[in-house]
Order: sequence, then C-alpha cells, then structure tokens
Amino acid sequence: MRDMQERGIMSDQLLTISGLSAGTEDKPILHDISLSVGAGETHVLMGPNGAGKSTLGHVIMGDPVFQVSSGSITFDGADVTELGPDKRSLAGIFLSYQAPVEVPGVPLYSFLRTICQMRPELKTTARKFRTRVGEIAEQLEIDQNFLTRELNVGFSGGEKKKIEMMQLLLLRPKLAILDETDSGLDVDALSIVSRGIEAYRQECDGALLMITHNTRILERLTVDRTHVMVRGNLVAEGPASLIDDIDAHGFARFEEALPQKAEA
Amino acid sequence: MANTIITAGQADTTTLAHVNVPPAQTWNYLRINDISLTVPEPHFVGDVYARLPRLFDAVECGVGDEALTWITRAAGDATYLEVKAGEVREEPIYVDIDASCCDVADTGVLVRTGASATIVTCAHGAAADATSASLLRVIAERDAQVKIVEVVACDEGQQHLDAVGIEAAEGARIEMRQYALGGAKVACGLCCNLAGNSARFTLDSRYQAAGTDVLDINHVVRQRGRSTRCDIVTTGILADSARKTMRETIDLIHGAKFAEGSEIETVLVTGDEVVNKTLPVILCDEEDVAGNHGASIGAISPEQLSFLAARGLSEEAAEQLFSRALFDDALIHATCPAAREAVLVRASEVLGEETSRDMAEVLGIDAKEA
Repeated sequence: MRDMQERGIMSDQLLTISGLSAGTEDKPILHDISLSVGAGETHVLMGPNGAGKSTLGHVIMGDPVFQVSSGSITFDGADVTELGPDKRSLAGIFLSYQAPVEVPGVPLYSFLRTICQMRPELKTTARKFRTRVGEIAEQLEIDQNFLTRELNVGFSGGEKKKIEMMQLLLLRPKLAILDETDSGLDVDALSIVSRGIEAYRQECDGALLMITHNTRILERLTVDRTHVMVRGNLVAEGPASLIDDIDAHGFARFEEALPQKAEA
Repeated sequence: MANTIITAGQADTTTLAHVNVPPAQTWNYLRINDISLTVPEPHFVGDVYARLPRLFDAVECGVGDEALTWITRAAGDATYLEVKAGEVREEPIYVDIDASCCDVADTGVLVRTGASATIVTCAHGAAADATSASLLRVIAERDAQVKIVEVVACDEGQQHLDAVGIEAAEGARIEMRQYALGGAKVACGLCCNLAGNSARFTLDSRYQAAGTDVLDINHVVRQRGRSTRCDIVTTGILADSARKTMRETIDLIHGAKFAEGSEIETVLVTGDEVVNKTLPVILCDEEDVAGNHGASIGAISPEQLSFLAARGLSEEAAEQLFSRALFDDALIHATCPAAREAVLVRASEVLGEETSRDMAEVLGIDAKEA
C-alpha cells in the first residue's frame, strides 16, 4: 500500500487517491484507499459483491450520497475532494452508471446537446453536433429514433448501456469510470459496448477505470494495472495477469488475508 | 356562413363563470373547482344551420357547457372533416388559431372505422388583452387510430381557451400530446369518452408557465367500455409567480369491467411565488377495475439530479435542460411546419433566440420550412 501511495504523488498521474475513507452518513464503506491512474492507462477494479467498488466509483465522481471522512482525490493536478460532481465532470471525469437513471420529459437529443454545450471545448455548430451524434449512433448500432425519445425511459438494459457509451464518446473525458457496464448485456450488446470502449481508448486516449466481474469485456483492451477490493479495503494490486489469477481462483485468498492485513 | 364575429379590443365582454368544472368537486374554499374567464361578447350577424353533424353535439368536452356554448357562438362557423373507413391519412389535419386575430375555431373530425389520422391544433401569436379559442371534437369509430397534438404557444398578453372532446368506439386508439407553452391566462379542458370495449387513450400533457401566467387544466376520461385503458402522464415546469390548477379525473363507470386507468403528474417548481394546485380523482363504480395515481411535485429527484450532475449539469443547468426539453419535445411531435414555427417563436421568447435557433438546427428542422 505504501508503494501505491508513493506512486500517487508522482506528477504524471491523472488520478491520485490518497488515504481515502468514505461512506454514508451512518456507515463507513471505504477504508484508507490509495491508488493512482496515469493518463491513458487502463485499470481494472475487481472484488467480490459488496466490496465497495461502485462506491469508490461514485466517490471519485463526487456523488453527494457519500461523504469523505479523510484522505484526498487529486485529478489532473488539482485537488477535487471538495468539488461537486458537476465540476468534476467538467474537469474530465466520467462515470458510467451501472443502472442509468431514467429522465422523463427530456429527449435524448436535448440532453446530449446540453451536456456538450456545458463544455467550451465541445461547443460546435448544431449541424456538426448532429453529424457527430449520427456517427456515434451508427458506431454503436443505436436506432436514430432513440434520439427523439425520452432519456432512458423504456429503454432495455442493453440500450441504456449503449446510450452511456454514446455519452462517453461524445464527451471525450480524460478519465472514464465504467461501473459494471457489462452487467445484464447479451453477447451482441456486450460486443457493441466493448467496441465503444475500444473506440474511446483509440479516439480519445483517455484513461479507464473498469469495475467489472466479467473478463470478456476486457478482451479488446490492454490492461495496465489490476486492483482488488475486499470489504472496503484495497487489498492487492498487480499487472494484467492478476485478472487471470482471479478468474482461476476467485477472491477467497484476498478475503482470508484481510484480517491479517488489518492486524498488521 | 359566419353568424358572429369577435374583434380584438372590443368593449363588450361577458363572464364565463364556471369553466373546467371537474365531475366531482371538492371544498369551495380551495378555489380549485373551476375557473372564470372574461371573454368578448359575440356579435350576432346572421344564422348558420347544420354547422357540424348532430352527432358531435353529444361529444363531451372538458371545458363545460358554458364555455362550449360561447366557443360555438363565437366561432360562427365550423369546420368538418371526415377520414374515410380504412384510410390512412398521411397529411396531418392542421387547425390554426391565430391569437393576434382573436381566432375562434370550431372543428369536428370524424375518423371512420379502421382509419388513421393525425390532428394538430396550434394557438399562437400575440395581441394584448385578446382572447382566442379552439374547440376540437373527434369521433373515432371502431378500430380507428387518432393522434392529436395540441399546442398552445401564445405570448404573455394572451388569453386562450382550448377545448377537446373525444369519443372512442370499440378498439379505437387515441394518442394525444398536449403542450401548454404560454399565454397570460390559458384554460385547457379535455374529455375523452372510451365508450367501446378495448378503446384506449394515452395522454402526454406538458406545460410551462412563468411570470404571472395562469394555467388551468381539466382532464376527464370516462371509461365505459370493458377492458378500456387510459394512461395520463403530465409533466410541467412552473416558475416565478405562475399559477397552475390541474384537475384530472378518471371515471370508471359501471360496466367497465377490467378497465385500467392511470394518471401520473410530475411538476418542477422553480419559483418561490408559484401556486400549484392539483385535484386528482379516480371515480369508481365498477369492480374488477384498476385505477392508479402518482405525483411528484417540487424539485428534480435526487437520483436524476445526481445523474445529471455526473454529466456536468448544476441544479440550475438541469432546470434549464428541462425547459429546453419541453420545447424540443413539442418540436419533435408537432409535425406541421406552422406549428413548429409557432413553437420556435415561443421558444425564442422563453429561452432566447440563440437557443431557439439551435433547437431547430439540432432537430434538423428547416427554418424556412418551419
């Protein structure tokens, strides 16, 4: 863990989390988390159900449901620990929701146009915006009719995830946290979403923090680092080969090791 | 053929004391049972016979008899259209109400068995202290499919009265979208009678009111046929000192076995002086039916706000998104160029010219065409 903290203060890191503890008002969830993600790197965060992986994603995004009790989050050279999620988003952090929220009354086109106009670097003419949205829709095999439908309302799980990928490709964030983007997808949808992630890496050269149980979604990606979480603690970190190891042996050894680690 | 004429600014007025009266009333002190409107007194200039087929006389409209009588007198003449049995009418039937001319339109549409048609009504324009009105009565015969888009895009100085009555026979499908986008005092009354078995009515009603606007809405659905279904979704934004009253009644009448009715309202309130009143009622005189009502009133939900924030939108920006979305949605569904033009003009007044132009371009609406 000390190694990770040391890496965290390296200047070329895009995201640096140092000694972060957080939780809800009455329940601590994350304990002394430290990790860092370099620009353009792909990191995978794994762990058994209830380990706190999604919570970490939401805390990085600044979800007000969770409070940080200690530690800090530095993004792109600036301390963002106290910033709201909208500011973090505009700074270049993107969180893909495990269960994207339905927003009745808001056509997808209105939503996409508005979130682009919030970013000076993405401001463009309506015509170019339409063209770009059309290209992404084609890339992700999204029916153009979806663009005039209300955001996520009545969409299937796969369609919602494709729309999340559409936002990712449109916004071109510096860091994308994908929270179990593969969950609930059939083979075809998984393939399309994987292509979307690959396109993000190639077109935007953005960094990825993938929270996943499914190694299939990683097949098209080159993973730089793997992190393992158990009961709110970051218990291991390693190269991409750690994924194969977890695939073969599960999380049992990490869970067993945690009490000893805590005692140490 | 006109027997009466209303002119802007005329001195003679009359008061419609009880407009938009719901089938079941509540305590008077709540001041929610009706709205009164002061309107120009129609001038008699001649007689007109058989303006619409007599069967339209039986169509109930949500505004009530007093307002109905006034509109028919003020309109003078009426427009009757018939869609033949089995016809799929591609071109929308468009009813234009130019508020700046104080237009009063009385329209009857008969959609014959198995036919399908789209009807767009649009009230637009500006004339200080003027009144405009529209009455649309639709009879949908067996298995007919009717889409209705009602747009009220008047400016802040205008008073507008909009009445809709629908009669749906067995298997008829009525899909309606209602957009109340502006007007100093607007009253929209709607009644749909699901008379035939398995008839279905869906209503997506959206509104925005700001400044000192007064918006009064009355939705009534009579479910008479067996296995009929109605789904009403109402979404609105209220700002500044706007006053809105909405009555929503689903009437599950004796004999309507297995009927289902649902009404859901979501209101976003952004002004401290807003007055928002809602009277949701489900009347039930039959067993084996299902009625559902839900409401969310106030701010954007925490889940939605959190999601929108994660995409870079502050609470204020999220509220602006909802305003824009309302107009975008009207542009998407009001398929007639004239109605789209009216929506864009109103959007320009509410959201600014730049946003209005952007909306048209993003949605690929040719400004010249609109």
